Amino acid sequence: MAKPLPLEGIRVLDFTHIVAGPQCTRILGDLGAQIIKVEQDQAMDVTRSAALGGIGGIPGVNRSGMFEYFNRNKLSITINALLPAGLDLIKKLVSVSDVVIENFSSRVLERWGLSYEEQCELKKDIIYVSITGFGHIGRLRDYSTWGPTAQALSGLTFMSGLPGERPAGWGYSFLDHTAGYNAAIATLMAIHHRNRTGEGQWLDVSQVESGMVLTGPAVLDYTANGRPYRRPGNPTGNRSSNPRVAPHNAYRCAGDDEIVAGESRQRWCVISIFTEDDWQKFCKAIGSPEWTSDPKFATNADRVANEDELDRLIEEWTIDKMPHEVMHRLQTAGVAAGAVQTNEDKVVRDPQLRSREFIQKVPHREVEDSFETDSLPFKFSHTEHRIRQASPPLGSDTQFILTEVLGLSEDEIAELAGQAAF
Amino acid sequence: MTITSSLDSQPQALEDLVVIDLTDEKGMYMGKMMADMGARVTIVEPPSGHPARHIGPFYQDKPDPNNSLLFWYHNTNKESVTLDITTGRGAAILKEMVKKADVLLESFQPGYMESLGLGYEELSKINPRLVMTSLSPFGQTGPYRDMKASDLVSMAMGGIMASCGYDHIEDAPPICSDGWMGYATGCNFGVMGTMTAVVYRDFTGQGQWVDVSIHESLSCTTEAAMPNWFFDRKVPIRQTGRHHGLTPTPSTQFTSSDGKLVNGFDIPPRSLDRWNRMVNWMDEKEMAEGLKDDKYREMISQGVRSGPEMDFLRERIEDFIAAQPADESYHGGQQIRLAWAVIRSPEENLEDEHFRDDRGFFPEVEHPELGKSFAYPGHPAMFSKTPWRMRRRAPMLGEDNERVLSQEFGLSPAEMVLLRESRVI
Repeated sequence: MAKPLPLEGIRVLDFTHIVAGPQCTRILGDLGAQIIKVEQDQAMDVTRSAALGGIGGIPGVNRSGMFEYFNRNKLSITINALLPAGLDLIKKLVSVSDVVIENFSSRVLERWGLSYEEQCELKKDIIYVSITGFGHIGRLRDYSTWGPTAQALSGLTFMSGLPGERPAGWGYSFLDHTAGYNAAIATLMAIHHRNRTGEGQWLDVSQVESGMVLTGPAVLDYTANGRPYRRPGNPTGNRSSNPRVAPHNAYRCAGDDEIVAGESRQRWCVISIFTEDDWQKFCKAIGSPEWTSDPKFATNADRVANEDELDRLIEEWTIDKMPHEVMHRLQTAGVAAGAVQTNEDKVVRDPQLRSREFIQKVPHREVEDSFETDSLPFKFSHTEHRIRQASPPLGSDTQFILTEVLGLSEDEIAELAGQAAF
Repeated sequence: MTITSSLDSQPQALEDLVVIDLTDEKGMYMGKMMADMGARVTIVEPPSGHPARHIGPFYQDKPDPNNSLLFWYHNTNKESVTLDITTGRGAAILKEMVKKADVLLESFQPGYMESLGLGYEELSKINPRLVMTSLSPFGQTGPYRDMKASDLVSMAMGGIMASCGYDHIEDAPPICSDGWMGYATGCNFGVMGTMTAVVYRDFTGQGQWVDVSIHESLSCTTEAAMPNWFFDRKVPIRQTGRHHGLTPTPSTQFTSSDGKLVNGFDIPPRSLDRWNRMVNWMDEKEMAEGLKDDKYREMISQGVRSGPEMDFLRERIEDFIAAQPADESYHGGQQIRLAWAVIRSPEENLEDEHFRDDRGFFPEVEHPELGKSFAYPGHPAMFSKTPWRMRRRAPMLGEDNERVLSQEFGLSPAEMVLLRESRVI
């Protein structure tokens, strides 16, 4: 029997688009909240037209893989916010919602007459969540960010890379995800406060700050020790700076049949040794070749001092083995090691993710087909999260929302239609 | 409307919650997030100290359980009691604490708490309203549950590294960021799961167990990579400092006259309006020669993105950025609505007036034992009614033993001495 959904009964009015905002409402929707995604025909979520992932090989606003990935479990209504009748409709929806979430630039809702105070007039205990690069508060509120912009400013880009080289940074919008996570956390905390006190509030989430909070020890090293993170040797690539231990790195492995764009890719694994016990187990697991008893690798300090040579020797062992083979061999011996997994590996070669039903099959809403996607990374004993339905075709739930959520009559709906409100 | 920063008179969102924090270095960020929002979070650590107390960097480079900056940052607003929960008496005291707790956070290897008689089943009998959150590398179930991990291993397995690295350095490895972003991501989901369970408890009175996998937390944090496989069966390539892609895209890192890097975006601008403003901006610096040609305006408005003309425009903009300090490109770009940035080192944000002054992001946290205070990073969201707050620096080892164990839980002075001597506390 299905367990209850923990956020059942919570209604979220969702003006979000692209990734950061939809990430937040994807989580709340999986947990059972009703998510009403408001779009406009002229200004739909641009991921609907993303070039990648035409489901069934056919492009279309209802077949974008990127849109699908972030918008399952949501209802879609199209409303023309540029017309007074459309704005009135939006205000009606605010008045029956628990939470309003948006990631427009910082003045859009104000322009609509939906500042936090104005929302409170419609719904006294509304929880309003704004997600922007810099927040709505502060002199740079009009600056804009994409993931890489926020990553660059926050310090995260700088912290990722090989010493002496330019930053490698992040190969995607890590802070779109993370800002969405912070928005979901903040929303849940605010719901708890509302449950206890009856009081709603405004939560102003910043994407750049979502990165800055992940740099704490580096900032304290500067404020307490006067040591800037920007210094020769930083960042340390895949080697561990704190604690300073070796070996701790990525190593080349044998390739497999993974061919992309006509090229065979180099495969990699990682190994992390922290303690003397780890080191002894590691040496034994790789068959105790002679060099492992060389005094220059005797202690952690020795291994750190001779790290380049050590890493070269380890790679001589990994180079003719598949990454998962290295992982299992070392893990069997109790050593922390892992394959550098691609998206394909996670779906095709990762029994762990399968066994926990992290990868799930979902029927598409328009095409006669189902697809796989990933779920939420936690499990509850007494409740559950669920992918109840794939992402909504544009405007697919307009009638349902007008009649069931707002309780409008046929005449009222006809009048709104006449005014081109939706 | 302004959100005033941290008036002491304002309530905090989690001020009613009592949290027991048994986590190690993987999970300590969970309790911090809750403590900064007002929860009473008590670290229950072994008498030898929480593992993070032994990891640097250290204050003045002096290793000491009270000097770890890693520990300082992740344990603000918490209190500390020492307790060896592997002893019978230690476990019994913990159970007394559980009776009065709302939340218990732990990040031991799966099965460890059960082995001490402190598994969810046992603890929920003592307190059915308890929300217990277990954060682990791979989750409490499945074929990998007992495998060992580190932040590096989690970042590799979760697919982060496959997307991060270099395209301009041949044969470069995939890169794991510094700063334990894998643990942090697991903790973000840990708090999300915990707060979901707390909200469900608000509605129903029912507590529960939340099983959080770091591996899964990262596996869903790779943006287009998973849809690339699910919908296209394609594996993206790594590119220096910019999005992974199915096909190569132009570089977005540009060197400035002061040696700092600018992270460009949308170069040349796609919108004609922004292109015109870009040319005007370059013209002000007398670097727009030849760019006012209608040919470029037409190509921009037609959406042309490649070819020799676009390469030429990119080179000109690159020269423009190279001729001025990075901050000028950042602010100048933002003023014409281009999402450009300087690539900053973390400490360089301390001087940013927007974050420091307008948003109060870097509060000074007092360390009375040192007679000093230091600026700490704050919180990623401003709450209008229940602000985050830095009430107290991270606790010294066992700093709250007296108040918590003897005053609240009634341990006699004699027993306190005995437990101290037998290293239970």
